[in-house]
Amino acid sequence: MNRWLRYRIADAIITAIAAVIALIVLVRLLPGDPLTAILGDRGADPATRAILEARWGTDRTLLQTLASFFGGVLHGDLGISLSEQRPVTTVLAERLGPTLLLGSLTLLIDFTIGLALGVWAALHPDTRRARLLGLFTLIGYAVPSFVVGTLLMWIFAVKLGWVDSGGLTDTLLASDAPASAVLVDRLKHLALPLAAMVIATIAVPLRQQRTAALETAAQPWVLAARARGVRPAAIAWRHCWRPALTPIVTLFGLWLPMLVAGAVFVEYVFNWPGMGSLLAHATFSRDFPLVIGAGLVLIAFVQLGSLLADVLYHVVDPTQRPS
Amino acid sequence: MTPLLEVANLNIFFPQHGGPALVPVDDVSFTVSSGELVALVGESGCGKTLTGLALPRLLPRGAEIGAGSAIRFRGTDLTALSEPELRAYRGRRIAMVFQDPMTSLNPVMRVGAQIAEAIHAHRKVSRRDARDRVLALLVEVGIADPELRIDAYPHQLSGGMRQRVLIAMALAAEPDLLVADEPTTALDVTIQAQILELLDHLRTARGLAVLLITHDLGIVAGRADRVLVMYAGRIVESAATAQLFAHPAHPYTRGLFASIPRLNATTTRLTPIGGSVPRPDEWPAGCRFHPRCPVVIPRCRTERPPLEAKGPGQLAACWVTPGAAR
Amino acid sequence: MTAPGRIGLALLLALASFAIVGPMIAASPVAQPDPLNGAFLLPSAAHWLGTDQLSRDIFARLAYGARISLAIAAIAVAVAAMVGSAVGLAAGSSTGLVGRALQRVINLGLALPRIIVLLVVLAAVGRIPPPLLGVLLGLTGWPAVARLVRGETLRLAQAPYVDAAHALGAPPARVLLRDIFPGTLPALLVATTLGVADAILLEAGLSFIGVGVRPPDPSWGSMILEARDHLANAPWLLLAPCVALVLATSAATLLGESLRRSLQPDTR
Repeated sequence: MNRWLRYRIADAIITAIAAVIALIVLVRLLPGDPLTAILGDRGADPATRAILEARWGTDRTLLQTLASFFGGVLHGDLGISLSEQRPVTTVLAERLGPTLLLGSLTLLIDFTIGLALGVWAALHPDTRRARLLGLFTLIGYAVPSFVVGTLLMWIFAVKLGWVDSGGLTDTLLASDAPASAVLVDRLKHLALPLAAMVIATIAVPLRQQRTAALETAAQPWVLAARARGVRPAAIAWRHCWRPALTPIVTLFGLWLPMLVAGAVFVEYVFNWPGMGSLLAHATFSRDFPLVIGAGLVLIAFVQLGSLLADVLYHVVDPTQRPS
Repeated sequence: MTPLLEVANLNIFFPQHGGPALVPVDDVSFTVSSGELVALVGESGCGKTLTGLALPRLLPRGAEIGAGSAIRFRGTDLTALSEPELRAYRGRRIAMVFQDPMTSLNPVMRVGAQIAEAIHAHRKVSRRDARDRVLALLVEVGIADPELRIDAYPHQLSGGMRQRVLIAMALAAEPDLLVADEPTTALDVTIQAQILELLDHLRTARGLAVLLITHDLGIVAGRADRVLVMYAGRIVESAATAQLFAHPAHPYTRGLFASIPRLNATTTRLTPIGGSVPRPDEWPAGCRFHPRCPVVIPRCRTERPPLEAKGPGQLAACWVTPGAAR
Repeated sequence: MTAPGRIGLALLLALASFAIVGPMIAASPVAQPDPLNGAFLLPSAAHWLGTDQLSRDIFARLAYGARISLAIAAIAVAVAAMVGSAVGLAAGSSTGLVGRALQRVINLGLALPRIIVLLVVLAAVGRIPPPLLGVLLGLTGWPAVARLVRGETLRLAQAPYVDAAHALGAPPARVLLRDIFPGTLPALLVATTLGVADAILLEAGLSFIGVGVRPPDPSWGSMILEARDHLANAPWLLLAPCVALVLATSAATLLGESLRRSLQPDTR
């Protein structure tokens, strides 16, 4: 492992820790006592309150809080969820799977079909279909994911009844149902959230790829390659697409966190049992150990994405490689 | 003997929405024979680059070749060929060397791979054989340490080396004609001479025909067999190099000579040609040089002068210069 | 300005006038005149856009929602632009330790996902009045602006006319404010216009999951949330807030992209 990479990884870890500290400090600085909020109008007698304060750690100083939080992190302990009365790590672990499923499929489609459409649009700039695609991407830019989701739900679940409208699986499905039935059930539940996510996000990689491919297609080396008699497919691949990869790699790094929290609103629409809907409900019920736990995971993914982008950037762009 | 390349009445035009088409190359004819070095000289905007690009049919989007034009390579009219048929000519029969050696190389591909691409495009060879061939080419174009350079990326090479790589790339499929468009403009003066030497050497060593496109009459002397002078989309003079340098027939050619700085002629002042090349949409009637011409007569403003013999092997399009003795 | 940009500007102005004038002529957005018989009414002379599940007038809710949503977005981008350009200018112009420290602060802000900060704060403080929600959105949006302004400041500090100003002996603070700051404004204007779309989207999203603008205050996001429960029997409830939301974000995006094209032709 070279020095640059070691330095970059250390930087990512330090930045992540600083971000988590900032989050905790922020909670402490804010007005409003979470405990009072949770106890609500019922209140509690001072003795009970003292017990609760000790249990939730609201009686500690900031430094004590930080020390115990990071001490817990080292032992895989992120505290107890206020609303679920279970360890935050357990709750997060349950929710990570469905979110990763939805997020990774979204990223996969965005960075395959989206990029292919982008190259296609760059190669056919003045056609009617390309203009239609341009309009579609503008709509994708401007229409919120949850509006797309709600409309899809109305059309395909309520009106047409083709697919189920919420959750991960059909709770009425027999536990001993054949594998094919389970798969069909999964896909029926996955279809709408995935469609909503893709429609709301695909415009960005598409447009970025289109711009980048348009730029490289006008470069002299493309003309030089044609002058050597290189096949058109090889020109599109090696001389147009490949040099245009750098901005795409950067975008991919920025988007990696979407794996865990890009779907807050879409998951909420479809009751998808992932991190996004968890965050929404945790915020509503003011369960901030859970929110901070989810925040920690998300911050880690942000740094991971930025690290990955930097590494890939060096891989795809030889002028950036240390010689 | 049929020439290697024969360009006849080449018209290149850009159709315009609601207006007459722009014709940046207008009725250009010339030939290049095997082993010959022909220079195509003119200021920027005169149509010389488009003429060069038209030979392997690599014109930019929107440009079209006129119906009466012909580009005959060994008798085959390239204007009648389809895109896949043309690919067999590009690189293999007619190769190009471009002006900017930095942007003419793909920055994310090793230079060896880019040269090998030209070999693989025209011949079925193993990777190993292609690599050996690339190494030999790098030696031929004068790159030291070819084993080291073959896996370099363009940004790791100097400008002169990049231009040598571009020439190796052009030679890779053993073409008959090399079209070099301002191959030395982006380089330092000392490197310029080396690259020109290389081109001249390759011509004699390989029997390669070279069309050297340049704005600089100074680099033509002593190298080119013949010179074509282009102005505003037309060829205004064509002659053997010695004849042209001794007796330039067209006032524009004389103007070009007057604007070359010479080390040994410290007494004469440089006299630039007044004004600049007009754009294709504002070309004047008659002789297109007449607004800038020092010896203009009324006929120049209305009638286009034909290319006619002005001396031995010398053609020029001018009403004023007297024709060769009949 | 391009044609799409003019359309975007016209749409934004129309929505802003609607947000100002609409509530003046509308009924009360919270009144429930007849929850038993007056719910889910189709559009009529009395209720231009019909009534919702609680018999409230949809036109009134849309108009007050416009006022709240657009005001929040305006506050958000104003706060983000002010804080962001102050930090960005300072980070870009100060050298040495201060510059590096400020750069660290900006990076830290960028490392904190906006949505997480928003949710953590909303979890901690609970219900929040709409203007404060706007401030909160602004305080989470400034790092991106600061990065942009810092970059522009660093770029402009290299410009020949800035060198000239220094050479003429102008004090650094004066050069910063008179020569560099105006140069950052085009990029800032573009980012702010596009930021309006982001702020509208975020506010609508937060209200949609029930933690932004909360009932009974109307907001386009919370109207969509409520309509979602009646998709089967009254799908038209979705129509008005969805159309308003999409128009607003499209308008800001169109205008921002158009401004970018005319003010920063060399960037994407």
